[in-house]
Amino acid sequence: MSAPSLEAPRRVLAWRPGPVALAGAVAVALVIAGEIVSPGFAGYGQLVNLMRVAAFLGVIAIGQTIVIIAGGGGVDLSVGKVATFAAIIGSRVMAGEDGDLVPAVALALLVSAAIGLVNGLGVTLLRIPPFVMTLGMIGVVQGLILAYTGGRASGQAAPALTSLVNGRVIFDLPGLLFLWLLLGLLAVWLLRRTTFGWNLFAVGANRTAAELTGVRVNRTLILAYVLSATFAGLAGILLLGYTESVFLDLADQYMLPSVAAVVIGGTLLAGGVGGYAGTAVGAIVLTVLSGLLTTLDIGGAGRTVVNGVVLLVLLSLYGRQRRLRS
Amino acid sequence: MSPLLEMTGVRKRYGGVQALDGAALTAVRGEVHALLGPNGSGKSTLDKTLAGTVVPDSGEIRIDGAAARIGGPRDAHALGVAAVYQQLSIVGDLTVTQNVVLGLEPARRWGFLDHRAARARAAAALDRFAAAFPGGLPLDRPAGSLGPGEQQIVEVAKALARGPRILVLDEATASLHKEQVAVLFDVVRELRASGVLVVFTSHRLDEVFALCDRATVLRNGRTVGTVELAATDEAELVRLMVGDAPRRSGAPAAAARPSPSAGAAATLEVRGLTTERLRDVGFTVRAGEVLGLGGLQGQGQSELLLALFGAARVTAGEALLDGRPLPLTSPAGAARAGVALVPGDRGRQGMFAARPIQENLSLASMHRRARLRLALGAAAERRAARSMVERLGIKIGSLADPVSTLSGGNQQKVVIGKWLLDRPRVVLLDDPTKGVDVAAKEEIYAIVRGLADDGVVVILNSSDNRELTELSDRVLVLFEGAVAEELSAAAITEKRLVAGALRLTPGESP
Ligand SMILES: Nc1ncnc2c1ncn2[C@@H]1O[C@H](COP(=O)(O)OP(=O)(O)OP(=O)(O)O)[C@@H](O)[C@H]1O
Ligand SMILES: [Mg+2]
Repeated sequence: MSAPSLEAPRRVLAWRPGPVALAGAVAVALVIAGEIVSPGFAGYGQLVNLMRVAAFLGVIAIGQTIVIIAGGGGVDLSVGKVATFAAIIGSRVMAGEDGDLVPAVALALLVSAAIGLVNGLGVTLLRIPPFVMTLGMIGVVQGLILAYTGGRASGQAAPALTSLVNGRVIFDLPGLLFLWLLLGLLAVWLLRRTTFGWNLFAVGANRTAAELTGVRVNRTLILAYVLSATFAGLAGILLLGYTESVFLDLADQYMLPSVAAVVIGGTLLAGGVGGYAGTAVGAIVLTVLSGLLTTLDIGGAGRTVVNGVVLLVLLSLYGRQRRLRS
Repeated sequence: MSPLLEMTGVRKRYGGVQALDGAALTAVRGEVHALLGPNGSGKSTLDKTLAGTVVPDSGEIRIDGAAARIGGPRDAHALGVAAVYQQLSIVGDLTVTQNVVLGLEPARRWGFLDHRAARARAAAALDRFAAAFPGGLPLDRPAGSLGPGEQQIVEVAKALARGPRILVLDEATASLHKEQVAVLFDVVRELRASGVLVVFTSHRLDEVFALCDRATVLRNGRTVGTVELAATDEAELVRLMVGDAPRRSGAPAAAARPSPSAGAAATLEVRGLTTERLRDVGFTVRAGEVLGLGGLQGQGQSELLLALFGAARVTAGEALLDGRPLPLTSPAGAARAGVALVPGDRGRQGMFAARPIQENLSLASMHRRARLRLALGAAAERRAARSMVERLGIKIGSLADPVSTLSGGNQQKVVIGKWLLDRPRVVLLDDPTKGVDVAAKEEIYAIVRGLADDGVVVILNSSDNRELTELSDRVLVLFEGAVAEELSAAAITEKRLVAGALRLTPGESP
């Protein structure tokens, strides 16, 4: 053992930024780039707006983070569709009335959780690969949506929901951002300070060892999919509060970005390593990037290419840092 | 004779841990040189700097008198150094031959790689170990289908196929049966006779005395001495390794012992237990008894422990703990009923390499400390983990470090420690001291006896007969999945164990 006085400075030298710090730096760099090409991009109102857009992705990606950490190819492709379905159920049941807000949200979340339960049972008991199971679930939920709406969405957000999401609280920040913060803290607590969270990481890191340590592996996995769908449903409700009325593909486009946000946040697709703070930063990176591309008037193919390139650059950076650290 | 290998002033730091702090090693041609020291003292790290997989922060290596610059495994290979690491590097999907050939640079003929020559070299290297494969050399079988001991032998053959002048064996015997060890030793002796230097690391001192000529001892990354083994006894060697520091297993450790578990004094009764690899196994273990499992390894000992933990498919039979049936259908159920298993393969079955030491230690018992079985208190978890780190003398930097950064023996202590926190009523141990240093072995033995004294049922499988004789009150000798013989306290001697194991397999000799 060497003297502790020697240890401190060396440790600082040995410190290398982790994925979260790197992704955060990228987000800041993108904002600065935006301000340079288009002055006003980094204005207060603009930034608040970007954060608001990021919030929906951020909430959907909570569940995605949980499922990906569980490992074994865990992924939930049905989150976008489930969010859409929850918004559709919610808007129809509350139908613009504050009095029906609570039952509407409860029902929407219950249906979402049930869909997650089916995903979880399929993945564990029937051993269907998560990719296949949740991809198939997209079709099933789409069918349910058509059966439920007859092809035309109806209903409206309750005013209370709208003001909860859009109303300005302090510093002119919308309520949505505080809700995201709250849900984000809940996610971090769930992953880092509960038996469920530690079991989840264990299952993701080494499933055999988890089993032999007495972890109820299947129960943990099923719960992961239930939580994923429930957070997706919640994001759908928040989206409903924002848009006030729904369309049949309201949240569908969040499917791949939710996975991308998790990966950019440094969570390993192989499972067992990661966390929600990174995912939240990942959601912000993707949203700022998308805002920047809109400002630059780059659409379609160009957008896809740039998104892909940013993802690849970040992932190769993470890989490099991991090697350097070990 | 001028030394073949001279390593001096080797330093290597990982984050907050000084793994090597000026280590030195000098050894000559035609010698088997033991590299010894407690867990985490830097043996594997020193081996790796020699083999080029770790680049030291500073230090000098001279081979055959000339300064050697080893920047990577290729340099080491070119200098005639081959190493077998503590962690297996076998690729399970490739055949045994392919594994041995892997990374060998085969001769070139007219510009083409000569695969046939490489195959021949692989076969020749494996052939030296023919006696360790009673069923014939498994040249074309996937390496993943071999037992852990056989894989280890393949690993050694892989190093030999490179025709090294310096061969490094880092705990190569930890997963070998007695018979396989004997084969390996014969090969090592042949190598010594042909002038090869073998650097040999093991925590089994009887092996060290049987095989090695000299020993260099490391402590905290520093070389504390080199001794002639012929002129040294075991006590002296242990003193060199452990130092004059007061022993850990003194009074404080005993005080830290958990109080007898609730409903202590259990009796475990197993009747007609049958699985794919077990035939009608029955026995009774009384509270406070340590039951050993003996016989040739691979006769169903590990399977029996897994079955009692609900991790093997039981087709018939039952186990009663104090007259109440144990759930044999799921490990989670077994764990809740108070059964603990320290499995035989720590990398695959015991630890979560990428997760922090904290979580690895907490996992089995955290539900007891959690509020509403859900909310964990950071301080309580840390306290629990720290208590184990101290009790077992686990050498760590910080509880937040991934368990994969620990030395092999310290990883094993983590795997044992997680169950000791759970206050189990039945403890199943599958080779629990694999790769663990002398001091910690004593500590673990004391803990096992302490558990038994507290009324816990202990079943111990060990590939180390010395461990069985020292700890067991009774030993069941298993053969082909069935109980072949029962030895009681007075009858348990190493000789009897060997005889018991062998008499049952006529036609085979060690
Ligand atoms: N990759 C790594 N990252 C961080 N720390 C490491 C790493 N490799 C080794 N260490 C640390 O260096 C020290 C020496 O480890 P090493 O593996 O050389 O010990 P050892 O003498 O081989 O022990 P054992 O008998 O348990 O195998 C240990 O404290 C270990 O935690
Ligand atoms: Mg080692």
